[in-house]
Amino acid sequence: MGDRFDVVVIGAGPAGSSAAYNLAKRGFKVALIERGRKPGSKNMFGGRVYAKPLEEAFDGLDKAPIHRWVVKERLSIVNGEEYVTLEYSGSGGKSFTTYLTDLTDWMASKAVDAGATLITEVVVDRLLIRDGRVAGIVSGSDELEADVVVDAEGVNRLVLEKSGLVERLTPRHVALGVKEVIKVEKGDIEKFFGLGEDEGLAWVFMGSVSDGLPGGGFFYTNRDSLSLGLVIYLEKAVEGMKRHIYDMVEDLRIGPLFSKYVENGRVMEYSAHMIPADPRAIRPPRLVWDGLLVTGDAAGLLINMGYTYRGVDTAAYSGMLAAKAIEEAEGDYSASSLKRYEEMLMKSYVGRDLEKFKGVHDLYMNPRLFKEYPILLTGLLRRLYEFDYGGYRLSEAFSEARRGLVSLPRIILDLLEVYRKL
Amino acid sequence: MGLDIIVGIKYVPNTTNVNIDPKTGTLVREGVPSVVNPHDLVAVELALRLRDRYGGSVTAISMAPPHAVAGLEHVLGMGVDRAILVSDRVFAGADTLATSYVLAKTIERIGRYDLIVMGQETIDSSTGHIGAQVASWLDLPYVYYAIEVEYTGDGFIVTRELEDRIEKYRLSKPALISAKMYSLEPRQVTLRDKLRAVLERPIETWSNKDLGLDPNCVGLRGSPTIVSKVEFTPKVPRKNIIFEGDLREAVRKLVQALVEEGVI
Amino acid sequence: MSSQAAGERKRRKIRLEDLLNNNIWDVDPRPHIRLDTSKCRDCNYKPCVLLCPTGCYTTHGDDVLFSYEGCVECGTCRVVCPEEAITWEYPRSGRGIHFRFS
Repeated sequence: MGDRFDVVVIGAGPAGSSAAYNLAKRGFKVALIERGRKPGSKNMFGGRVYAKPLEEAFDGLDKAPIHRWVVKERLSIVNGEEYVTLEYSGSGGKSFTTYLTDLTDWMASKAVDAGATLITEVVVDRLLIRDGRVAGIVSGSDELEADVVVDAEGVNRLVLEKSGLVERLTPRHVALGVKEVIKVEKGDIEKFFGLGEDEGLAWVFMGSVSDGLPGGGFFYTNRDSLSLGLVIYLEKAVEGMKRHIYDMVEDLRIGPLFSKYVENGRVMEYSAHMIPADPRAIRPPRLVWDGLLVTGDAAGLLINMGYTYRGVDTAAYSGMLAAKAIEEAEGDYSASSLKRYEEMLMKSYVGRDLEKFKGVHDLYMNPRLFKEYPILLTGLLRRLYEFDYGGYRLSEAFSEARRGLVSLPRIILDLLEVYRKL
Repeated sequence: MGLDIIVGIKYVPNTTNVNIDPKTGTLVREGVPSVVNPHDLVAVELALRLRDRYGGSVTAISMAPPHAVAGLEHVLGMGVDRAILVSDRVFAGADTLATSYVLAKTIERIGRYDLIVMGQETIDSSTGHIGAQVASWLDLPYVYYAIEVEYTGDGFIVTRELEDRIEKYRLSKPALISAKMYSLEPRQVTLRDKLRAVLERPIETWSNKDLGLDPNCVGLRGSPTIVSKVEFTPKVPRKNIIFEGDLREAVRKLVQALVEEGVI
Repeated sequence: MSSQAAGERKRRKIRLEDLLNNNIWDVDPRPHIRLDTSKCRDCNYKPCVLLCPTGCYTTHGDDVLFSYEGCVECGTCRVVCPEEAITWEYPRSGRGIHFRFS
């Protein structure tokens, strides 16, 4: 084809649109190729984004579709009908809730306004390799050449796989997120949670909700809707699923924690997406090759901090750093020159937090976290709070609650592990 | 030589699975994205095949608000050569008569054409009027349910498929045909064509300034049709019966249940 | 209906197919997923059946029945399939799922 681009970006998601925006504003001729009918139409997430990195990547958040700024955080440990909740109320303003479909569309529009060429409805099948280096992309029988390619294709990363640059995804690499978005009456959210009109709640929970499998649930307040969903780590789920994942999500909706909030609501959408799981497993052996940089979920840049996930801001940030590295490469797009990207990324908060929280995944693979400990904790509190005449001392309640469940040394070891890894 | 073909498309809400609000009983339309009417894509496919076989060009036209550009980009991405969006506030609220009038005048203004291809009907209103009406305005021979077209140089041999027979017609050119729905599989959007659609933007927008039509003949004012009432057919509750057992046994039970229901 | 009965009714699960009815697809008549069902018979866990969020895979005896129309393109089936029986591509031309509120 006659049209030549400096850079082709695969995927107009958070990483790709950020890369395209930051390249276009530096004067690069960029093609941003998206398989969806419009940017965002294939995107899904839990429900909240951390604002600061996004603001840096897009030079502000002007006109971004922000629903509510999170001011209230809840963490619940669930055992059937019982649950223990920790709530934190702060000044907030660090993260906001939204629909990723809309936010992604906004990001892509920033790229287009900066001069990037957005091409929707086109699937990139593989990389165009010439003389051992990436020279563009291939879609069907069409090729599009470019000096350098930014791979922002997302977690399934079929392009990288087909090109033999990464191994086939296995259950260890990923987790599955499923969610329902539920429309509620205007004013309900303020009433239910004591929030102001642009204030939001983020709620994560774990325990029996995942049937003892590694995973957990999430609940976010959008403008006039609620996002409720579940994440299940596939590694243990392949053999450990007891019922359909849809049943587990629906049980959340009608269960003790949420039914009162959603019972008058109407489901607007039912969505699912995979997320990177074990960061060490999913990270490609390298993030740059000759003529290629890998960003976002395709690079496994999702941080599980144990009590919150971040993947959108890290994706956008990686796209921005990829653009910076491409500029600094001054036309030399060899792997050794593009290596700057990997260095900058690893030095940034993304790389630092990936390193910092790399042990959380191991923690998540401890089955007691999702089975015994929720029973222990709720059993302990039940004994402390529910009595007719005489009550329990804490130590009494504790030893009774853990009897036959888990040994004291085991608990101490597990606690040490949590302390080390969180 | 070569065939100059005009194909009409409508950009419609994707209502293939719309939900009904249990409280209000109305369609939930919030955020429903639009698509090119699937039956029009069959017309596009037929037009493209003819162009690929005989040479020439395919021009897509659509009367719609500006957002329909995305639909025109879709068919350009399939390989359509040129697109015209006919868009003007005075065209709003049109019934099929006023719509077909604007489309006919658009086609007249395009001037040179051998064949017009339309879809059988649209998924959002299913009238099937437009093809016949445009043919009437332009005084063209018209065949619908077309599944095959052969170009003879001075006209066409059109095969149409009915439930119980297949008919062949000889048409002089120019002519108008409606493509039978589901008769062809629309081709995919390609990178090459989509890129051309985005970079070269072969989309023109014509307003009534270009067409100069009497405002009394277009839009709501030019529309004699009045929709008095729309009633949705009641949703019959499902029985949710699962027929267990081995395949033979399950099918036997299913057939028996259907007989009992009087379905078969 | 007593308020308790109303509460019971509300607390019933929504059937999966009704949940899916809230989504918008532009389904390609050409399947983007292919399943080599001959490999499914000997598959022990058949994880696709419980893990496909939209229920695209169901069992019939030892066989797996499959439909792609309700797919939301998460890719889970491909990853969990122990037999590598699934050939999985993205739908082309912008078809497939069209998320709006996720």
